[in-house]
Amino acid sequence: MLLEVKDIHVHYGKIAALKGISVEVNEGEIVTLIGANGAGKTTTLKTISGLRGLTSGRIIFDGQDISKMPGHKRVVAGLGQAPEGRGIFPGMTVHDNLLMGAYARTTNSSKELAEAYELFPRLAERRDQAAGTMSGGEQQMLAIGRALMAKPKVLLLDEPSMGLAPLLVQQIFSIIEEINRRGTTVLLVEQNAQQALKLAHRAYVLETGKVVKSAPAAELLDDPDVQAAYLGGGMGHEVPGQAGQAAPEERA
Amino acid sequence: MNQKTLQRGNPVSRFRNQLGHFGDVMHDRWMNAPGWQRWIVYIALIVAALLLPSESIGSFMSPDTDWASILFFPIGTFVLLAIGLNVVVGQAGLLDLGFVAFYAVGGYAMALLGTRMGWNFWLIMIVGIGICALSGIILGAPTLRLRGDYLAIVTLGFGEIIRITARNTDEIGGPNGIRGIPHPPSIEGGPVIGDIEIFKYGVLYPQPYYYLLVALAVIVIILVKRWEKSRVGRSWAAIREDEDAAEVMGVPTFRFKMLAFAIGASIGGAMGVLWAAKSISINPNDFQFMLSATILAAVVMGGAGNLPGVILGAFLVAWLPERFRGLQEYRMLIFGAVLVALMIFRPEGLLPSRQRKAELKEGSGGMGTLGAEVPGPESRGEEVASK
Repeated sequence: MLLEVKDIHVHYGKIAALKGISVEVNEGEIVTLIGANGAGKTTTLKTISGLRGLTSGRIIFDGQDISKMPGHKRVVAGLGQAPEGRGIFPGMTVHDNLLMGAYARTTNSSKELAEAYELFPRLAERRDQAAGTMSGGEQQMLAIGRALMAKPKVLLLDEPSMGLAPLLVQQIFSIIEEINRRGTTVLLVEQNAQQALKLAHRAYVLETGKVVKSAPAAELLDDPDVQAAYLGGGMGHEVPGQAGQAAPEERA
Repeated sequence: MNQKTLQRGNPVSRFRNQLGHFGDVMHDRWMNAPGWQRWIVYIALIVAALLLPSESIGSFMSPDTDWASILFFPIGTFVLLAIGLNVVVGQAGLLDLGFVAFYAVGGYAMALLGTRMGWNFWLIMIVGIGICALSGIILGAPTLRLRGDYLAIVTLGFGEIIRITARNTDEIGGPNGIRGIPHPPSIEGGPVIGDIEIFKYGVLYPQPYYYLLVALAVIVIILVKRWEKSRVGRSWAAIREDEDAAEVMGVPTFRFKMLAFAIGASIGGAMGVLWAAKSISINPNDFQFMLSATILAAVVMGGAGNLPGVILGAFLVAWLPERFRGLQEYRMLIFGAVLVALMIFRPEGLLPSRQRKAELKEGSGGMGTLGAEVPGPESRGEEVASK
């Protein structure tokens, strides 16, 4: 097992954001965490990448306990993250952003740089443009490309589809699949459960800081509860406060 | 920027765009200038700085006060303090409202070590810089976990703590401060510029101190510029633009923020040492919050993060009130009006760097929003809580 999150609890002040989350990621997998707003998906990812301290529990990566390791050292250990939303450096050019991705490396990164431009030809076109002036989709591509520059063993992706047009979401997801095929393990946090479940091998469903379900992604796609809550389906299931209850049973 | 965008909008924004465009063109020309041309400009600037205290310039620049005196304080002092604060605010993006504290620590180091221990100015300068770097780290270690406006509040508190502690500690003179601070050791028969021996430090002439300040400024500018271009500078830029992203890129953010604080504090402290050595006596009221605020205004107005801009901003903030001293109380009114006009026409500062402009547009960059990071419609509660 490459990454193992063992029963972590995280608090924002006195408020518990995570109440005992356990997640396992095996080498070569795409694992996704799905759930509604405030379920703790982003917090889980931030805790794994070291931006948030944990109250209790352990994170084991590559056989090493990294619970207390500062975030910048986790990058060297092999955890790469594309932060949520526009986690790029807006004032730097696209090229400088990518070079920042290789900040922690001591070895030559020209191969990864070429690969990033090859995966995202759009970035090559905008090489010398200030990253903050690009569209949301381009910024997302940059964030992923930049995370790959560190040559991570596990790539942590936080809502890559957020605020993007459906066509662009398709494109980003197919690139994530390609990245995985080339050997990078992916841990994906998504609100777009439909897309995420189609892409991932396994999935965890989070609700108010707890894992309520974990199964192979394909199974969850057919799971009536998950359909009702996250996929806009599930006639006959009473899930108060969820949109799309009246939606037909069939999936797109 | 093409011709169309330059012509768009009302006259005010058109003027702004054209001004910005002109700045970009000049900047590009400078960036493409060959090395020897730049060196000529550098040397010309230093020569100009050395000739600046002459009477003929002074009669226009400050008809009401002694030009050479105000060149040292406030102008020169503000410039150096602004360069120091720019490392913290402009480069690392940490809003520091208590920068005067380090200036005070430097001043008191000079005063105490000079009067009690009888140390030499040069020795105190080195020790003072060390003490200030240390005080920067002492302030930074517990507070740099905070961000934006919270950090600003804590640094503001620190500035006040230093001043009030000095006022209430009788061992260091209390409210009366310290008198009889020694001057730097003079060298007799040194070179002469305009009837004044430049290495003879006394009470009578401010020029020798001004030359010392120019020398200090040149050293500081070279160092700061080198840091800016190095890995350190890139780390600061990353922290300024997005601290979390910087951390997950492998930048040891906490350590680099401490370094920015220590370097900024050292520069402020060095200026404090020099200033105390000239003024003979210091007291806690020399280190008011207003000074921190004014220096910050200079940095923001000049164009935070861009060294020439910051120097220009500090010069204007120090010089304008002196130039219009003849107008008495109205000069502050004019000064305020100029600041307001600047923020309307050039909210990014007089000479902003291109990078800062892009950051400002995006609404990030720490100081870009002056720490006031307002949650947008798309952000969620937890993001805001972590800021």
